[in-house]
Amino acid sequence: MHLIRYFLRRSLLSVFVVLGVTFLVFVIAQVVPSDPAALYAGPRPTAELIEAARQTLHLDAPLHERFVGFVTAMATGDFGISYKSRRLIADDLAIYLPATLELAVFSTLIALVIGIPTGVLAAARRGGWLDRASSLTSIAAVAMPTFFLAMLLQFVFAKWLGVLPLSGRMSQEFSVLDPLPTITGFNLVDAILAGRPAALFDALAHLVLPALTLAAYPAGIAMRLVRAAMIEILERRHITGARALGLSEPRILFGHALPNAVGPALTVIGLSFAYALTGAVLVEIIFSWPGLGRYVSEAILSKDFPVIAASALVVTICYVAMNLLIDLAQALVDPRVALT
Amino acid sequence: MNRRALLKSTALTALAVAGYAASSRWGAALAQDGARIFTLAYPAGFPDLDPATSFSNDGAVLANTYETLTRYIPARDGAEARVEPLLAESWEVSADGLSWTFHLRSGVTFHDGAELNADAVKKSIERTMTIAGGASFIWSPVTAIETPDPMTVVMKLSDPQPMDIIASAGFAAWIYSPNAVDKDNAWFNAGNNAGTGPYMVERYEPGQRAILTRNETYWGGRPEASFDKVVFEITEDAVLAQSKVESGEADWSYGLAYENLEALKANPELAVVVNPSFETLFGMYNTRRAPLDNPKVRQALSLAFPYDDVISAGTAGLGVRAKGVVPPGIWGHDADAPVPDTDLELARALLAEAGLAEGGLELTMTYANGDSLESLAGELWKANLEQLGITLTLQPMAWEAQWQLAKSDPAAAQDILVLLWWPTFITPYDYLFNLFHSEETPNFNLGYYSNPAFDQMIDAANILSGTDRPKAEAAFIAAQRLMIEDAAAVFMMDRPNVHVIRSDIKGYVDNPAYGHVVFANELSR
Repeated sequence: MHLIRYFLRRSLLSVFVVLGVTFLVFVIAQVVPSDPAALYAGPRPTAELIEAARQTLHLDAPLHERFVGFVTAMATGDFGISYKSRRLIADDLAIYLPATLELAVFSTLIALVIGIPTGVLAAARRGGWLDRASSLTSIAAVAMPTFFLAMLLQFVFAKWLGVLPLSGRMSQEFSVLDPLPTITGFNLVDAILAGRPAALFDALAHLVLPALTLAAYPAGIAMRLVRAAMIEILERRHITGARALGLSEPRILFGHALPNAVGPALTVIGLSFAYALTGAVLVEIIFSWPGLGRYVSEAILSKDFPVIAASALVVTICYVAMNLLIDLAQALVDPRVALT
Repeated sequence: MNRRALLKSTALTALAVAGYAASSRWGAALAQDGARIFTLAYPAGFPDLDPATSFSNDGAVLANTYETLTRYIPARDGAEARVEPLLAESWEVSADGLSWTFHLRSGVTFHDGAELNADAVKKSIERTMTIAGGASFIWSPVTAIETPDPMTVVMKLSDPQPMDIIASAGFAAWIYSPNAVDKDNAWFNAGNNAGTGPYMVERYEPGQRAILTRNETYWGGRPEASFDKVVFEITEDAVLAQSKVESGEADWSYGLAYENLEALKANPELAVVVNPSFETLFGMYNTRRAPLDNPKVRQALSLAFPYDDVISAGTAGLGVRAKGVVPPGIWGHDADAPVPDTDLELARALLAEAGLAEGGLELTMTYANGDSLESLAGELWKANLEQLGITLTLQPMAWEAQWQLAKSDPAAAQDILVLLWWPTFITPYDYLFNLFHSEETPNFNLGYYSNPAFDQMIDAANILSGTDRPKAEAAFIAAQRLMIEDAAAVFMMDRPNVHVIRSDIKGYVDNPAYGHVVFANELSR
C-alpha cells in the first residue's frame, strides 16, 4: 500500500519535471543568439531564401503561438523537422535512441555485475589481495578520463591484440553485405529475432569496448560505495547474530548485509545510465557509435533547436523514468524508503 | 575455487585470447573474394540526397550516383583548366552568348530505366529551379529550355553566362530521371535512385554509413577490378579515421591531423595526396568604419600578417600563399598578383602616414567557432599587431551568429571578418562577385567594399566568360589587382587538400572542383 502511494506521488512529481524542462528549453532557444532561418536556408542563401525559410518555419508568429506549436509538436511525438538536415526528427530518433539504449543498458549491466559483488567481497576480506587490487582499479577507473580509457582499450584490444573490433556497431560483412532486418533497432535483439548467432556474436563484440569504457566510472564508484557501506554494516549486531546462528558466509553477505548497503550504489548506477544517454559523446565519437550524444552535440554546435528540444525531452523522460525505477528498487530492497 | 586454480584459469584464458589474436585479427579476415568494397572514412554525414537541393558534403554521394552535363578539370601540371563532356558530348554558344546548345550522349539510361534525352534534362533542371533551394541559383540566368530534337537541349539566357561551367557544378547541376521530377525531398532521402551515375544508393543509415552499389547498366567504362560497392563510414573522430586507414578497415580519408602526416607518408601501405583546394582563407576589412575605411591602415594590417608562419604552423607547410581570392587551378588565378609580404617596418611607416604612429588601435576579428586554423591565424597576427601598438580582439562565433552580426549595421559590426570560401561553380566571378561586388544590403560582401570601377570590370568580364574566356580571364585579373591594391581583405592562405588513401588503390586523382569527392568508378584494387 505504502509502495503504491509512494510510486504515484513520485510519478506525479515527474510529470512536473518534464513540463518544466519543456518550458526551459523553449525559453533558452529564444534567448540564444542565432538565426534559424539562415540555418534552414543552407550554406549560401540569398536574402529572399532566408525570408522564405522564415515563412515556412513560422518564425514571425507571436511568441505564445510558437510556444503552443512547440508544445503540441513535443506532446504528439511529432517533434517536427531538423533545421539543418530537414529530416524528420522522429525518424532520426528511431535510429539513434536504440543504439544509445543498447550501449547504456549493456554498460549498466557491466557496472552492476562488476561493481557490486567486488564491493561486497572487498569488504568481506578487508585488507586482502582482492580488496587492495579492486581499490586500486576502482580509483583508476573513476579518475581516468573516458576518452583516454577509450583510446587505451582500443589500443590494447583492437590494435595490439586484435581480438575486438576498433569501432562501429557491426562488421562490414554484416552491416554492408548482409544487414540485419530492422525490427527493434537493437542489434542484439534483432540478431536473436532473426536467428543469426554469428551476427549476434559480432554485435556483442562491438559492444564490449564502448560499454566497458562507459561502465568504468559507475562500476568504480559503486564498488567504493558498497565496500564502505558493507564494512559498516558487517560490524552491526544483527550480522554478528546471524553469524552466531551459523548462517553461511555468502548468505550473510548477499542476503543480509548487501540489501542495507546497496542503496547509494543503485542511485549512482541509475544516474550514470541516464547520463550515458546523451553524456557519452566522447565515447560515441571515439567508437563511432551512432548514439544520441553525437546527434545532440552536432545539433548544439549548429544551434539546430528542434533537434535539441526533442532530444532534451526524450532524455528527460528517460531520466525521470530511470529515477522512478531506482526509487522503486530502493523501496523494494529497503521498505523504510517508501515511508519517508 | 582456490587461489591457485583461479590464477591458473586466468593464465589459460590469457593464452587462449593471445592465440586467437595471433590466428585472426579482427576485421582483417573480411572476405574480399565476395564483393569488392571501397570504404571511405568520411568525417560528416549526408543529410540531403535530393539532387535539387543538396548543398553540402552530400555531393560526395551524389557525384557517384548522378551526373552533370559537363565536368570541370582543374589546371594541373602545366595543362590548362578545361571543361570535359559528360552527359553532353558537345556544346556551342551563340555569338551573343545568350543561347547555349548541348548535344546529349546517346544510349544513356537512368537507374529506373528511363532514357536520357532532352526532355529529361529540361524537366530535371526545371524541377531544381522550381524548388529553388540549395544551389539552384546557379540556373538563375536561364529563361527558357528548348528541346528542338530528342538529343539537343537549348538554354536561353537573360544575360551571357558560362553555361558549360555552370552545368559542371558540384551542386544543383545533377540530371535526374523524368519519373522522379514529381517526387519530394523525402523520396530521394529514402534512398531512391534516379540518376545515371556508376553507382546507386543501396542504403543510408544516418550517423553510421551510406552504402552505394554498382550500376550494372552504366554507360561509361570502368577499370578492371573496380569496386562493386562504395561504403562511406561516417567517422567524426580524426584519430579513429587514421586508425581505420592504417589498419585497412578504410581505404580513404581526409581531415587527419597535419602533425601525423609525416608518419603516414612513411607508411608504405598508405599514400598521402596533397593538392591545392579551391578553399581560400581571408579576412575582410570593414571598409565602412574608421579606422579601416582608410586603405593605408588596411595595407598596414595586411603587411603585419605572418603569412609563412601561419602556413607552416597551421598546415605543416602544405598551404599555399593566397594570391588574392582566386586559388590556383581555377581559370582567372593570378600567379603574379601584387599581394604583400610580412613587413612590420613598412606597416609602421604606413600607420605613421595615416596619423597612427602611436598605435593605440583596438580592433575586433570574428571567426568560425572551433576552426583551429582561423584561431591560429588570429593569434599569430595578434602578436605581430601588438608590436605596432594595435590590440586585436579575437572573437570566435557560430557561423549564423557571425553572419548575422556582419549583416546588421556596418557601423556596429566587426572590424575584420575571417571567412573560408569555396565556389559553387568554377569561375573567378563566384569569389569576386559574392565577396567584393557592391551590395545595398550586405549578404556575403561582409567588408562592405564598394568600388564602382571594380564592379564594372568584373561584370563585364563575366559577360565575356561564356564567349571569350581568355579575355574574360585578363579582365578578372585586372579587376582583382584593383581590389588587392585597395586592400579590401587580407589574403591569408589557400588551404591544401590532404587525402590519405591505401596505396594498393589505383587511379585516384583529387579534383578540387568537387570538394572531397571521390569518383569511385575510376578506382580499382
